[in-house]
Amino acid sequence: MSDTITLSVDGRPVTVKAGSTILDACAASGVKVPTLCHLPDVCSNASCGVCAVEVEGARGLVRSCVQQAREGMKVTTASARVLESRRTVVELLLASHPEDCLSCLRQESCELRELAELVGVRKRAFPPTRAPRKLDAISAAIVRDNDKCILCGRCIEVCREVQGVSAIDYAGRSQNSRVAVFGDRSLADSVCVSCGQCTVVCPTGALTERDETDEVLALLRDPDKVVVVQTAPAIRASLGEALGMDPGALVTGRMAAALRRLGFARVFDTQFAADLTIMEEGNELLARMAGKAKGKLPMLTSCSPGWISFIETFYPELLPHVSSCKSPQQMFGAIAKSWWAEKEGIAPEKLVVVSIMPCTAKKAEAKRPEMRDAWLWWKGKGRASEPYQDVDYALTTRELARMIRRVGLDFGRLPEESFDDPLGASTGAATIFAATGGVMEAAVRTAYELVTGEALPGIELKAVRGFEGVKSATLALAGKELTVGVAHTLKNARAVLDGIAAGTSPYAFVEIMTCPGGCVGGGGQPVLPDWEKRRLRTEAIYHEDRKLQFRKSHQNPAVATLYKEFLGQPLGHLSHELLHTEYKRKEVR
Amino acid sequence: MDSRASVFDIEAAAERLRGKPGALLGLLEEIQDADPARYLSEENLRRAAAALAVPASQVWSVATFYGFFNLQPQGRHTITVCRGTACHTRGSLGLLKDAAALLGCEGYDPDSEGAFTTADREYTIRTVACFGQCALAPVVMIDDEIYSRMTPGRLVAVLSGAKKRGAKKAAHVPRRRYEGEAAPSVEGAVR
Repeated sequence: MSDTITLSVDGRPVTVKAGSTILDACAASGVKVPTLCHLPDVCSNASCGVCAVEVEGARGLVRSCVQQAREGMKVTTASARVLESRRTVVELLLASHPEDCLSCLRQESCELRELAELVGVRKRAFPPTRAPRKLDAISAAIVRDNDKCILCGRCIEVCREVQGVSAIDYAGRSQNSRVAVFGDRSLADSVCVSCGQCTVVCPTGALTERDETDEVLALLRDPDKVVVVQTAPAIRASLGEALGMDPGALVTGRMAAALRRLGFARVFDTQFAADLTIMEEGNELLARMAGKAKGKLPMLTSCSPGWISFIETFYPELLPHVSSCKSPQQMFGAIAKSWWAEKEGIAPEKLVVVSIMPCTAKKAEAKRPEMRDAWLWWKGKGRASEPYQDVDYALTTRELARMIRRVGLDFGRLPEESFDDPLGASTGAATIFAATGGVMEAAVRTAYELVTGEALPGIELKAVRGFEGVKSATLALAGKELTVGVAHTLKNARAVLDGIAAGTSPYAFVEIMTCPGGCVGGGGQPVLPDWEKRRLRTEAIYHEDRKLQFRKSHQNPAVATLYKEFLGQPLGHLSHELLHTEYKRKEVR
Repeated sequence: MDSRASVFDIEAAAERLRGKPGALLGLLEEIQDADPARYLSEENLRRAAAALAVPASQVWSVATFYGFFNLQPQGRHTITVCRGTACHTRGSLGLLKDAAALLGCEGYDPDSEGAFTTADREYTIRTVACFGQCALAPVVMIDDEIYSRMTPGRLVAVLSGAKKRGAKKAAHVPRRRYEGEAAPSVEGAVR
């Protein structure tokens, strides 16, 4: 059998790989057949019918996204029948869709709106047929507006097939068809881990992040508050994209300039806390390996809050494997409101910590009730006040882009500025936290040196880079072999956890990131990512790492100062108070 | 929980069905049948999900898709009125309204497709799209018995009789033949 087939698309021959869909064949011959439910690597359930084309000899129109191209097939992509069908399909989808595009969070990136224009919808052709539905705005991270849902099924697929969570599924039938969690409850009362992958694949405004830009802008204009900001490593490689630049645009300096112009009193960097995480987590690993710390091996990383929710919900019996280190976001908040606030003489009640995250789960993490250790620390020193969280607001990349546009900053023309000291100092090891494998590589760069007294040969740990689902590397460390693992997406995390539960896991240390590609592919990043965009964002991250003077966390001078002036040593008493935490089994009603 | 399904061993049933095609459907059917209120409580749905190791959202999806599954406790007697086209043209909407009024289903909307259960859990009234008995329209089912060519008068007689007997199952009331109508009827023969 031949590896290729030849067919005709609109009368022109085209040769494609055998097994290609008609849609692929059309693309190869230069025809963009519109699609809606179809999303490569995520969803191909042919639910919408937008991609239908005519195939000679076929009884009806054929859905090109799922139908395989065949030798000799004659495809017509823009006959009167096809164009009319496409428009009718979209008109029917719009029948029960609210007409609130002007106030919709996704108005700029709505695929349904784009498609309506493309197929030439010019009127409301059909009356609404569905009763209005309840808005689900209870979750700290995600807002679900089922009125805007077109039942394409992308969210269901990404939740089940990419994340292995299955918080949502279709429910009901006919007019009552809907995407629902068990019992038609709120996402907040489900097994949802707030990863936000549904919000980046949703073609409409049915699933979005909880937008908190108004709250933060109001605080920035409040003279009684000191509002500081931290930015996660991944933002510098995606904010430009969110503002219309090419995917992978690296905008570290402009981002700092934009944040300063937005009115943040200090522009700090979560990367400072990422370096701090490596100091704590690296030492925790060595202590566990030496049998000097509680907690089991393999040790699992704890930076990614979607993953933490996942293990708390689905594998609570394995929680003793998770590092007790808080995520960098939370370490940052605790240090900013204790050490830094005291050093600067700022009343901690007036200090507001905003973080810019590639992540929706970070919103939920910031609101966890135990995440107010700075308040407890001050209380211990006799300063009583109403409780406050270590991090007040976690905004996504998309929200920051929205704020930058709202205040009228011409992002492309901003100068390159730098972060403020001391909590803005960081190393390349912290930058690569943004990519799958990055936390592991950063940990190894430091742990290798701590144990052997020598630098990791070649500094880069290439074996744990790239988009393979589960990666591993074996290192010789002081005469011992150390095998480490890296997994991204929760479906791959499940495989690692099943191995640990079965006692067959070969690893001493495993990095888990919730989202595809790591934080570069996070649920708070620009919508509709694909592997090429994730690859470009990742390249930008590794490029940034190579540019930096310091590339190992223990070289961060500000972290060294923090230990010298305040914390004492990694895993010390204050570290335990401010930088470490405990996890709990999560029961879902 | 007063439900007998708490006695019904969901886990054992799941063990028996696991791996078979339609295991989830079969399990839900067994749970509902074993429940005195003939419904699937959320607790039982969760247990079914855990027992078959399928996501709870998927169990909810299946349970909400099929009209056969009840998600609310059902009355001791169920009156099902066919709202298919043939039955509609022969007056099934009137039958439905009469039944609702007679049984005290206050607040019931005859246009809704949902079921309605009286506050005392005696009666559930519901509709069905078609019994496949269009030639004998209009058709009403009371518990397990199908009554064809139902008239308002007969419906009242059947339901009043059932109400009077109270606790007992609504008994089959023989239908008076219309003049010239051929016997035998299909009553009771159709399950």
